[in-house]
Amino acid sequence: MFSDDTIAAISTAPGRGGIGVVRLSGPASLETATSIFHAKSQAQLDQPSRAHLGRVIDPATSEIVDEVILTFFKSPHSYTGEDVVEISCHGSPIILARVLQLAIDRGARIAEPGEFTFRAFLNKRIDLAQAQAVRDVINAQTQYQARVATRQLEGELSIRLTPLKDTLVEVIVHLESSVEFVEEDISPQTASLLLTKLQLVIDALSAIADSFSFGRYLKEGFDLAIVGRPNVGKSSVFNRLIGTDRAIVTELPGTTRDALYESTSISGVPVRLIDTAGIRETTDLVESIGISRSRTAIADADISLLVLDASEPLTGDDIRLLNHVSQERRIIALNKTDLPARFDAASIPAVDGEVISISALTGDGFDLLTGKIFERLSGDAATERDDIMLTDARQHAAVRNAIEQLRDASERMRSGELEEIVLLKLRRALSALGEITGETLTEDILGQIFSTFCIGK
Amino acid sequence: MVDTQFEVIVIGAGHAGCEAAYIAARIGAKTALVTLDTNSIGQMSCNPAIGGIAKGHLVREVDALGGIMGEVIDATGIQFRLLNRSRGPAVQSPRAQADRNLYRTEMRRRLATTEGLSILEGEVAEIKFIGDRVTGVELADGTVIEARTVVLTTGTFLNGLIHVGKKTFQAGRSGEPASIKLANCIRGIGFKTGRLKTGTPPRLDGRTIDYTKFAVQPGDQRPVPFSFKTDEINRPQIACFIGYTNEAVHDVIRTNLDKSPLYSGDIKGIGPRYCPSIEDKVVKFAEKSRHQIFLEPEGYNTYEIYPNGISTSMAEEVQHEFVRKIAGLENVKLLRPGYAVEYDFVDPRELFATLETKRIRGLFHAGQINGTSGYEEAAGQGIVAGINAARSALDRDAVLLDRAASYIGVMIDDLVTKGADEPYRMFTSRAEMRLSLRYDNADQRLTPLAREIGSIDDADYEAFEQRQRDIDTVKKFLSNTKVTDLGEEKLNEMNLDGSPDSYRGRKLDYLARRPDCSAEKLIEIVKAAIADKAGEKEIVVALNDIRYSGYLKDQETLARRRGRYDDLEIPGHVDFNRISGLSNEVVQKLGNVRPRTIGQAARIPGVTPAAVSILLVEMLRT
Repeated sequence: MFSDDTIAAISTAPGRGGIGVVRLSGPASLETATSIFHAKSQAQLDQPSRAHLGRVIDPATSEIVDEVILTFFKSPHSYTGEDVVEISCHGSPIILARVLQLAIDRGARIAEPGEFTFRAFLNKRIDLAQAQAVRDVINAQTQYQARVATRQLEGELSIRLTPLKDTLVEVIVHLESSVEFVEEDISPQTASLLLTKLQLVIDALSAIADSFSFGRYLKEGFDLAIVGRPNVGKSSVFNRLIGTDRAIVTELPGTTRDALYESTSISGVPVRLIDTAGIRETTDLVESIGISRSRTAIADADISLLVLDASEPLTGDDIRLLNHVSQERRIIALNKTDLPARFDAASIPAVDGEVISISALTGDGFDLLTGKIFERLSGDAATERDDIMLTDARQHAAVRNAIEQLRDASERMRSGELEEIVLLKLRRALSALGEITGETLTEDILGQIFSTFCIGK
Repeated sequence: MVDTQFEVIVIGAGHAGCEAAYIAARIGAKTALVTLDTNSIGQMSCNPAIGGIAKGHLVREVDALGGIMGEVIDATGIQFRLLNRSRGPAVQSPRAQADRNLYRTEMRRRLATTEGLSILEGEVAEIKFIGDRVTGVELADGTVIEARTVVLTTGTFLNGLIHVGKKTFQAGRSGEPASIKLANCIRGIGFKTGRLKTGTPPRLDGRTIDYTKFAVQPGDQRPVPFSFKTDEINRPQIACFIGYTNEAVHDVIRTNLDKSPLYSGDIKGIGPRYCPSIEDKVVKFAEKSRHQIFLEPEGYNTYEIYPNGISTSMAEEVQHEFVRKIAGLENVKLLRPGYAVEYDFVDPRELFATLETKRIRGLFHAGQINGTSGYEEAAGQGIVAGINAARSALDRDAVLLDRAASYIGVMIDDLVTKGADEPYRMFTSRAEMRLSLRYDNADQRLTPLAREIGSIDDADYEAFEQRQRDIDTVKKFLSNTKVTDLGEEKLNEMNLDGSPDSYRGRKLDYLARRPDCSAEKLIEIVKAAIADKAGEKEIVVALNDIRYSGYLKDQETLARRRGRYDDLEIPGHVDFNRISGLSNEVVQKLGNVRPRTIGQAARIPGVTPAAVSILLVEMLRT
């Protein structure tokens, strides 16, 4: 008993572990995985049960998502009994979500709760006792789903989607009425009016799809500028964040004359770090050009990491910078805590947020710092994010699918395609939105037809 | 001495009963059709018309299965129209006005001459059974008739209660007694019953109508028949007429609402939202200044007119008053008042998809007793109940229709899975596979099954096979002929969008898929080219197949929220209570419906995908 579709899911527990696995099962699993995987060696990937080191690369942007290990298990010698590919990634939930998304983009379907185990059971890979466990898994998932569903029901996404779904239903109602009740004295809205309504829905859905800050950061990455007056240790912080000695570090203030850029990832989110020239009052021409570039970098960055030197008293340059970079867009780090402190965080003026104490020399406090950065860019509390990761991937897929179907429907409507064909696309869009907001039954549509139009020959 | 030993008994000779009795006899079961009045066989209690969008589809399917309705309406129709002619083939459907008397006569004649079918007159008072197994029926006069299976088609007769204004009386139809004893018997068995309501308009004397105030609605030049066996219909056609109510009419209704049983609370049964009475229309769509009326002649040799659109249960004198406010009906004479009728129905979730009841083996329900409305819906259930009653009586396997392959399948699945909150009517939007369920391909979908169960003649089956060969011939022609071979003149006539580059090097089957390509023109062209090899009907089927071929996958994706295990059977003895992990609510819903397959379970409102997975694991392990 083999499935004809290929499913994918993050198969390690939610949350940040050392390693996370994206698993695919089904006939196209190897094909799907290899379309995003570039092996280090020339080895044949279809050789079963071998681990291959390589990278997951986004085919659209050629960007490296993560260094991974890919293992192919050939049917029937796999967990599910089908062809299975496991991609072991670094454990960040965001990397995992991204790898999963790439697989989904290439035709895999997000697995239903417990579906891998279920397939394993169907293919007789596990026995009855283990099948009991399947049920437990499903049960647990059900409660989890219920919880997420409740949250979504009251959640902003659902609140925003519901009027759009209503508009879509309205379009469907008018089109259905025009084919279903040709003998009735009704005047359904014209195609051009319905097209306008569809466009409204498409635009609003696109805005929703784009507004997932999470999704945007995943796609475009995130700019973090490291700023401060000269010689507070910005370059040391930069080097420690990227993990190599990229920036030249000296005792001399003003060593960094031009901004340095380096891509790295913080808790899995692609981040472009910008090491800027120290900002101070200066007459040095080269230095002042560097400083002006630093100001531009601050303006462009999503967040600035403002570094202060704990071993020196606060200067006028420090204060000016604190005033320059707005509260919402900065994180303050108090560096050089390995040295005796000359002032403490409480004495920093114009600060009501948290100040993170770090030492670029020893690495103390960097866990806290990266945690803080991650928290800022993921919006809400990070743990909350982890919790709904899978659902997020589903929502993305659903909204995008709906947009695609609606565009297709509009195009066909414009070209004069038959109503029932346009309706097929619209019903598919409705069904995609229904994955988030709950299904719209044919009965509901009929009910709305009867309350909109006086049907009754 | 009347024969009292049968294999199948069908109670009731309406549209469900006629179909059930006919098909049961056709496939070889010795069958009795018991009716209160042999003159009422095939009676059209409401409007004198058959078909319409989705309903016409049902009739074609009944015909493809070897049923009788299509042939009878072809033989007795007085006006034929193919609806939605300008739209896509999947939503086109035939409709016909019938000569009400001729229809009855013809139905009775055909049934009376059907081998193995006996027509008995009498009132069935009781269903007889031993344990949970039906054994026959007992008539009001005490006669017991035995059978292995019984099909119950009670229409509006079970505890039928007619309302005209404040007047109420027990009746199944105007002037015919209700079935009270049988209703008590049904309730006694323990079936879950409810009350539904339907209505009908007053009948008019055509000689007192000023037709000049109405628009004429003629039939099609060339009627499209319902039956695959009918080649052509050449009878003279009669026009219908279209007019409107007006505010004066509505005022009369509004003023007298207190005398309307619908608004006084006298009527408790639930009526259909898609077929409201005129008082409902006036109240619920108060902003509409007029409502459409169709004047439908009841036959060639009668002046009785059926005014479609003003069904009502207002008091008789109110009906007189408001009807005469309608332009053209100022001097009209009412032959009979309209009325509403309330009747018992049995929750269709009491049934398997064979239409056999879950409580009593061998007892089948079809038609309005299952909460449906419409002659065509009744016929569709009648044929399924008849087939399965006969096959059960003959110890053959049950026959189930898939919702992916027929409207009848959609209807029955909806009924036995979701029950009926109001009288159920078929709409094309109920079918996920709408593009595939066309009126013109019903034979492709169902005739092989008819052959298998022995419900059609060899000659009819051979004709079916010939049609399929011809359709293939047309398809080959379309896929082998270049668009440019049509010649510039013909292509100019087609008035296609874009430049000739868009079709250069392409074949005609490509053209057939383009939305800007006129189907009529293409039919004409193909007809001219291969008239000797295939008829127009086959050309149409071939073109229609091609027209939708690019969307079948889309359709399946939409329909497949279900999955591959849809057909996996759930044994009847499963105790849902004992499956751990199902919520109480789900257990209750499953218990009520007792789904026969995983797919059916998944379609029950409120049964979650997770619950379906649990159920599936449970089924697979046993």
